[in-house]
Amino acid sequence: MNFIRGVIGGQPAGAQPSGVETIQKLCDRVASSTLLEDRRDAVRALKSLSKKYRMEVGTQAMEHLIRILQTDRSDSEILGYALDTLYNIICNDEDEEQDESEDAAAPVSGKTKSVSAPEDTQRKQDDIGSQFTERFIQEPENVTLLLSLLEEFDFHVRWPGVKLLTALLKCQCTQLQGVILVSPMGVSRLMDLLADSREVIRNDGLLLLQQLTKGNAAIQKIVAFENAFERLLDIMAEEGSSDGGIVVEDCLLLLLTLLKNNSSNQNFFKEGSYIQRMKPWFEVGDDNSGWSAQKVTNLHLMLQLVRVLVSPVNSPGATASCQKTMFQCGLLQQLCTILMATGVPADILTETINTVSEVIRGSQVNQDYFASVNAPSNPPRPAIVVLLMSMVNERQPFVLRCAVLYCFQCFLYKNQKGQSEIVATLLPSTIDANSISAGQLLCGGLFSADSLSNWCAAVALGHALQDNLTQKEQLLRVQLATSLGKPPVSLLQQCTNILSQGDKLSRRGSRVQARVGLLMLLCTWMSNCPIAVTHFLHNQDNVPFLTAQISENLGEDERLVQGLCALLLGICIYYNDNSLENYTREKLKQLVEKRIGKENFVEKLGFITKHELYSRAAQKPQPTFSTPEHMLFDHEFTRLVKELEGIITKAVHKSSEEEKKEEEVKKSLEQHDSIVTQYKELIREQDVQLNELKDQVALLTAHQEQMQTTITQQLSQIQQHKDQYNILKLKLGKDGVVSGQAEEAHENGLQLEEFTLLRDELEELRRQHAQLQTQVTEKDTLITSLKTEGLRPVEGSGIASGPTELLKEVEALREQVQNQEVEIANLHSDRQELQRRADTVVSSAVSVGEAGSVSQVAELESRLSAQTAETHRLQEELRGLSEVKAALEKELASATSTVAILQAEKSRLQQDVSESKKEQDDLLMLLADQDQKILTLKHKLKDLGEMVEDEDDLDARDPSEEDEEEEEDDDE
Amino acid sequence: FVAFYILQYYITVILKFASVGKSCLLLQFTDKRFQPVHDLTIGVEFGARMITIDGKQIKLQIWDTAGQESFRSITRSYYRGAAGALLVYDITRRDTFNHLTTWLEDARQHSNSNMVIMLIGNKSDLESRREVKKEEGEAFAREHGLIFMETSAKTASNVEEAFINTAKEIYEKIQEGVFDINNEANGIKIGPQHAATNSSLAGGQGGQQAGGGCC
Repeated sequence: MNFIRGVIGGQPAGAQPSGVETIQKLCDRVASSTLLEDRRDAVRALKSLSKKYRMEVGTQAMEHLIRILQTDRSDSEILGYALDTLYNIICNDEDEEQDESEDAAAPVSGKTKSVSAPEDTQRKQDDIGSQFTERFIQEPENVTLLLSLLEEFDFHVRWPGVKLLTALLKCQCTQLQGVILVSPMGVSRLMDLLADSREVIRNDGLLLLQQLTKGNAAIQKIVAFENAFERLLDIMAEEGSSDGGIVVEDCLLLLLTLLKNNSSNQNFFKEGSYIQRMKPWFEVGDDNSGWSAQKVTNLHLMLQLVRVLVSPVNSPGATASCQKTMFQCGLLQQLCTILMATGVPADILTETINTVSEVIRGSQVNQDYFASVNAPSNPPRPAIVVLLMSMVNERQPFVLRCAVLYCFQCFLYKNQKGQSEIVATLLPSTIDANSISAGQLLCGGLFSADSLSNWCAAVALGHALQDNLTQKEQLLRVQLATSLGKPPVSLLQQCTNILSQGDKLSRRGSRVQARVGLLMLLCTWMSNCPIAVTHFLHNQDNVPFLTAQISENLGEDERLVQGLCALLLGICIYYNDNSLENYTREKLKQLVEKRIGKENFVEKLGFITKHELYSRAAQKPQPTFSTPEHMLFDHEFTRLVKELEGIITKAVHKSSEEEKKEEEVKKSLEQHDSIVTQYKELIREQDVQLNELKDQVALLTAHQEQMQTTITQQLSQIQQHKDQYNILKLKLGKDGVVSGQAEEAHENGLQLEEFTLLRDELEELRRQHAQLQTQVTEKDTLITSLKTEGLRPVEGSGIASGPTELLKEVEALREQVQNQEVEIANLHSDRQELQRRADTVVSSAVSVGEAGSVSQVAELESRLSAQTAETHRLQEELRGLSEVKAALEKELASATSTVAILQAEKSRLQQDVSESKKEQDDLLMLLADQDQKILTLKHKLKDLGEMVEDEDDLDARDPSEEDEEEEEDDDE
Repeated sequence: FVAFYILQYYITVILKFASVGKSCLLLQFTDKRFQPVHDLTIGVEFGARMITIDGKQIKLQIWDTAGQESFRSITRSYYRGAAGALLVYDITRRDTFNHLTTWLEDARQHSNSNMVIMLIGNKSDLESRREVKKEEGEAFAREHGLIFMETSAKTASNVEEAFINTAKEIYEKIQEGVFDINNEANGIKIGPQHAATNSSLAGGQGGQQAGGGCC
């Protein structure tokens, strides 16, 4: 083993001959022996020496032991010994032995860390451990090897493995975390330890995970991903929750590490519904027979866990959703039960108050619930009142009183409703004399003889006014009855009185603390509230007091008071509404310059932020003070100072000229503002106009559309008319073709003439007929004398002339119709023109820009009206035409009726004619008979031998001629 | 008795490049908002949302893992114990698509064999800058047996669908009995509080079983 010798070459060989030699021999055996038993014995021997000769075993045997871990994996016994030995080398927790540490003083293998101070043995121990750890993890495979050994189920391997890894982590946390993080499934495998059924391994696994997750968010997240929350909560429930032992504590510590400052895990915890599982932890009941130290520790950690989830430093959204869940699952209610329970140890109670504070801070629902909580006293009192009683009770522990103040502060944080309720308990109208109210307690605290109570009450009252102008003004109404016979004094006045006159009480605690508290209250009250400033300045004593305080050269402990007085005076200047003539802004500034000096004033103002306790209070909202004397600053107040310091410095430094300039600037700004407002007005007006015009355009467009529809309607009407015309035309044409009768009747005069003619003819015929009859009678009488008589009816008619005139008439009508058609065509084209124009109007209306919209709209309107007029004209024309048409039709109808009458007359006449013809026929027959008779008579006469004149031929011919003429008559 | 419980799926979002916008994808899904400029995801961020499948309330717990190479070993730890994974590339960046194979191999190697993997081509709103065709994504998914979808975290297009479809796939596998719901290593958990309340009621037997699975 020259190699190892070389490594530890610097060591004096004879220092511990037996030990060193034995170790070397054993190392040789481990390295060279082929028998497992031999190696096992050697490793066991090394183990037994490893505590006493930690250094030697470490330097000489580590490589061999690691090789054993690699090669002898099948034998759990030897693995166990090797791991134990390594653990002994690396672990620093062992009770050290004197001689061992002396050995350790020797420099180790090239490492330059000089551990020469023998008095600091623990540090040396740590150094040895971390040096060996460094050597071990130099080869990352060693860590991987160790991780794979942890998968070995055998107790003898797994347990020492867990312990070794824990020890390694304790020494070189960051490096080892890095190695484990990159080894495949490294963290996941370690998580499996929690599932081990052997409690020792599970519990040591917890310790291992605690070390593993320390300060490494990536590992914390993987552990959470591997169901750590579920497992840990299960283990805690198994172990009895808050009543459980150290295992519960270890679980809680691990949970805290996983959740603290890890928003991703907090989110997972909330989303995994684990908050709900916290509630039973706090079901501690009222019997509280025993509060063991372990239980107190457990409960402490549990409360801390709640606070981690709702800490004011978390993102507001995350905190708010956790607060909501805590209310919904009843966790807050459970905590309030502890708050009001009896027998709870003071430190648990304190921490519970702090926890409740953060659970309700800024959450309206939770704050409202908290306001409704009552203490189970008789009569029941609000929890707030009970807590405030503790705050102003000097016998209560300091931390508890701080916690109550924090709780009150959180209750009022962003809670205007709560603020007004607290202030209301002080107002004369709502005051309830029968019970103790929060306001009464605060006032009592403000004026008590205990400076801590003064401070707490002042700060608490300040929180009731924080960012709430209404309450600042309301509180000015509060009047206090100081003593019998004297007029009541306002609360503000009383505060300043105590400040300026100094109360005659013999105080417990520091006078400075009380004054600081009062000054902070006044600053909070008067900032951003000019009415309160005026109220303050109204008292003639106040300003001289402040200037005196500031300008005086006082001791160290009074400097803070001076600074606060300067701040208060600054507030009086900055928030001054110049309503008091003696104390306008300008006059106060002059006063500062004359009596104090600007520079001096600003320097005094600067005392506040330079105070050592100021920055501590500025860090976080919770008031935590190491001693009651350090209780000087409130967190919210530090914010106010930060805000005001610059403003006030600027305000004081500004000369009156500058001020004037500023005024001017302000004025000009105002002017600008007014100009801007004017322009705004103008723009608004124009906007209104624009809108109106837009409306108009829309209206016109609608109108246009309406017009268009009217036009279309009219178009269709015209079409209808045209159709009617066509039909009429057709009808007229047909009439002309179908009957001449109808048209022959068109001219009455002529027909009448004809008619009379016909009648005359008829008369003549009748006459003829009569003549014939007479002739017949004559012939009758002539039967013997043989007389001939013949007459022929004559008939004639002007048929030819009638129709021509009718035709002419029709022609004229046709012409008229044609004219109308032309006119309709004109109308049609006009209408089209109109439509076209309408279209252009529409299109132009669409493209109307806003600027020229008025004129265009006007143009459009005029065009539209012109179109409307034209349309009207056209309609009129159309109406005229239809009237003409109607008249014509009427005429036609009357003509038709005349024709009908005439026809009837004619048919009657014809009948007459035919009747007379028949008569004539009869007569002719009679005549023929008579002729026959005459002929026979002639023959008889001939026979008789008598001479007769030759008239037969003539007689025989005449009747035939008559017949022909009658036939012609019939044809008519 | 499944109807009584809330199932919890652990779904990890896995992705090669941090700037690909998968954090936006998760933010869009859980908070319904889009954040154009996002810090690089350092390690892993957790997000959760409730969805409803088949009338059953299911809580999706999503671990959004960083895409950079340096976080790869950390990302590996999240494959085991995940029921599903979304493998996201950027359609406007060819290199992100080219690296998919490596990441898929990694996921397959370290995960439960039943893990449902969905391939997502994100930034589908930037059609003009597209470098990877939709068909290529589809082909890759077909070849490796993945579900495929193109999404836009900016316009929220398909984002819901991507997560819900993955959850549905897992749900179906549970119905088929592929997953052992009592083994938490599969990334499926039956809500403990529901099991507890139900065990006190008539369905005590089922509640007991489920509770046992959680321990």
